[in-house]
Amino acid sequence: MGKTTRRDFLKTSGCTVLTVGLSQHAFFRRTQQASASALTAAAALSTTNNVLVVVQLDGGNDGLNTVIPASGRLHSLYRDARPQLSVPEAEILPLGADAANHRIGLHPAMAPLKALYDRPEKPVAVIQGVGYPNPNRSHFRSQDIWHTANPERIEKTGWLGDYLDVAYPSVDNPFLAVSVGGELPLMLRSQNRVIPGIDNLDEYQIYAGDDADAANKVQTFLALNRVGAPEQTLYEHIRRTALELYESTQAVQRSAQNYTPDPTIVYPDNNPLAGALRQVAQIIAANLGTRIFYVAMGGFDTHTAQSYDHASLLATLSGAIDPFYRDMVRLGQANRVLLMTWSEFGRKVRQNADIGTDHGAAAPQLIVGGAVKGGIYGVHPNLTDLYDEDDMKHSIDFRSVYTTILEQWFGVSARDILGGRFEPVRFL
Amino acid sequence: MPLTLQDKVTHLLRRAGFAARPEEIEAGVARGLAATAEQLINFDRVPDNLGVLPTVPKGHDEHDGAEYLSMSEEDFRYVEGHFIEDINLFWLNAMITTTRPLQEKMVLFWHHLFATSFDGVYDVRQMYLQNENFRGNFNPITGQIVRPHASNPFPVGNYRQMLEYLSQDPAMLFWLDNWENHKHTPEVGSNENYARELLELFSLGVFDPVTGEPNYTERDVRQASRALTGWSVHMPGENNPDNFPRRFFFNSSRDVHDYGPYQVLGVTFSGDGRRLFDVIVQYKRPGQPQSACGRYLGYRLFKFFGYDNPEPEVINDLADVFDGVHGGERYSIRQMLRRIFTPGNPSSEAFYSEKAFRAQIKSPTEYLVSAYRLLNPGAMRLILQNADRDDLPIVYRLPETMRKMGQQLFRPPNVGGWKDGPNWINTTLHLSRINLAAQIADARWPQQGGIDVRQILLDNGLFQGSNFTRAPKEPYVDYFTRLLLQSSVAPELRQALVQYLNTPANGLGGDVERKKVQGLIFLILTMPAFHLH
Repeated sequence: MGKTTRRDFLKTSGCTVLTVGLSQHAFFRRTQQASASALTAAAALSTTNNVLVVVQLDGGNDGLNTVIPASGRLHSLYRDARPQLSVPEAEILPLGADAANHRIGLHPAMAPLKALYDRPEKPVAVIQGVGYPNPNRSHFRSQDIWHTANPERIEKTGWLGDYLDVAYPSVDNPFLAVSVGGELPLMLRSQNRVIPGIDNLDEYQIYAGDDADAANKVQTFLALNRVGAPEQTLYEHIRRTALELYESTQAVQRSAQNYTPDPTIVYPDNNPLAGALRQVAQIIAANLGTRIFYVAMGGFDTHTAQSYDHASLLATLSGAIDPFYRDMVRLGQANRVLLMTWSEFGRKVRQNADIGTDHGAAAPQLIVGGAVKGGIYGVHPNLTDLYDEDDMKHSIDFRSVYTTILEQWFGVSARDILGGRFEPVRFL
Repeated sequence: MPLTLQDKVTHLLRRAGFAARPEEIEAGVARGLAATAEQLINFDRVPDNLGVLPTVPKGHDEHDGAEYLSMSEEDFRYVEGHFIEDINLFWLNAMITTTRPLQEKMVLFWHHLFATSFDGVYDVRQMYLQNENFRGNFNPITGQIVRPHASNPFPVGNYRQMLEYLSQDPAMLFWLDNWENHKHTPEVGSNENYARELLELFSLGVFDPVTGEPNYTERDVRQASRALTGWSVHMPGENNPDNFPRRFFFNSSRDVHDYGPYQVLGVTFSGDGRRLFDVIVQYKRPGQPQSACGRYLGYRLFKFFGYDNPEPEVINDLADVFDGVHGGERYSIRQMLRRIFTPGNPSSEAFYSEKAFRAQIKSPTEYLVSAYRLLNPGAMRLILQNADRDDLPIVYRLPETMRKMGQQLFRPPNVGGWKDGPNWINTTLHLSRINLAAQIADARWPQQGGIDVRQILLDNGLFQGSNFTRAPKEPYVDYFTRLLLQSSVAPELRQALVQYLNTPANGLGGDVERKKVQGLIFLILTMPAFHLH
């Protein structure tokens, strides 16, 4: 570990000079070293430059109506279980056959994603039947399990937060991971760093009034924060953050200039996920060193009259992924950006009395990116061999997907982060 | 250099409350440190000025003006969002205006220690009941708010009693699932979530703060879970007048409550579960002179009021008070606070040391509350009295601003509470503080929650009117740095602020003095020193 950063220093010192017995001189020297701009700090232990975009489908996506058995016995079982909710064979967008020779396809609302799937570079992988043993049907508990990669025990940090702690122990870039939308998901919660949530890039700037005096205020703000107090650790923490903040707001605002929209790539206005992914694209274009983006989309808890709502959710999802992927291609970033969807569980096989679906278990995950070996992975869950009579069994543990990302995408060992060894899925 | 009496009084007022106003510092110096501490600690001798919970604001059809707490659950769903904002404003106003600063500070402490989020309760109104519970105004047996409730031990009473009240709190019962913890096997209750956090976060700590050893085992968690079976909530329904789950219910059925015997922390007992709290507060690890719970609370209290990583001598000193070794009341939070704030013992020496002085980052709540308490204590009261929120844009946005600063009250990130200390500041969170400072300083109209700059200048003999441009600017800088920072500032900083006031700005139009002073306030609120207390 070469550099000592401010965060590193605060961590080891317990935030008071006295507790570690550092002399004032030593402290001053270390903070001098730490003063190098956070935005240019090099990645320490990570061996790749790759980016992961996580898209959470909050509420439990109905996987059976997302990736659908398109023919044969599975299709007829599907029709029988869902007399009013099933998609007719003719409308399913065919993806091909899986390893067990089940023909499967996408919901008709996902035409843009189907078009991506068919691109010559095949950037879409469909991972079937993803789940974990003894599935928990509580939204919160099951989400926590996916967030922390631990079905057995409640944990306080997420698997991506743990990854950041392992791979970037001394990198102080405040934009290493960004939650677009403001909330900090458990998946990104780490021992050692606070991940920023940016609601809106346009608002990521210092507001000092709208009159002619605003520039004077900002200049005075900077002047006040340039006066150091080296013996006061917390004062220095705040002061340096203020200067970094100014730099990073400038960087973000410049990013608006780095990123010029392409008129042929349209992020639909009425699609909030598209709006969020557009902000992701802007930050990627600005080259702020961000490795992980987190975006959530709600509404998947479809217990009643599901048909219309679910179609609309899937249209939103694929209508956002499509422009984002094409934008990455345009910006020359598609090969270093990987997008992964996840949801805490799928729904039950049988529709319920309200023409909706209740909380279930296994469901598919989508992986999108220029480096992806597109296609179908795993086999569609059997619709007769079920958990508790009505829940599809998983054949791929979600931690296998995480393993692929940690090892093949981020180049770190997955075992410690996931607390065990899981066979990767070879989609990269 | 040791702190002066004035420094110590200022430090005490900032930490045991939310801000030190000039007249409070002056009175404290005249009264002396010990007497000032005693006045803060005996807050219940001061009349309570707690406001009332607002009613449903206008614009909600048949619900206009309705009392939140008495609505049916179905009707409440329509106004739930307003209620969440209103309890935020209710509590922020309490902290800004209270005549009992230490009481509200302790409510904040308990909310941080017994972190409960509205994301995990049955009905958001349970969060308000919990807030009043922490203030000592709630009776979990009747589900009613009574101010004050004579036997409620919160916020500074007997900790053993507090654990019992906490375990009967409706929000907590739902948040950590104990309401559905029923008899399961001879080894475990059906849900150990609460039992685990009770030991891990609420009483012993996962590791002893002095020895670093674990204080309990997995078996202790499971056995404690058995003792807590049947500690549940009355659900609304037939023969129950409650409109939402608000009363503790001990389900004594032998199918539901496990009467034991169980063994927790080496003690075997049976019964209705209440013995568990005696066992917890009395527990000492073999060879340790202090109780584990006393050490954990000593650690948490000193961390909150003093500084991070308190020395073992301080932790043990406070644990001794908890254990009653000096002959005082055992398990008394008030006695522990008295130890920290009254000069002449190891804990208070640490508290009044240079190491502690101005060496804590304000939480977002403390940041906001201190700014308002110093500049405009009446701001929030306005909205609580005014049904039309659209007239009060600044105040109305405060709950959202709090979220962006990283501390949404009633919604801690998880049961471990907020990550505090240096974690309160990163670029994004810091930016939100700056933008809050701008909101406060820019708000022009006092009747909209803004600062009445002209009145402050007139009251302090600073108003210059049309002579502002030629007038010396040092008096403005000196007055507002003293008011907001309770100290003068280094010469370079003072000079930068004076220069700001002297720099002409085109297009400011009339009333340059007010606008420049608003800018000055904004700048001081964003200085590193204002983030510290």
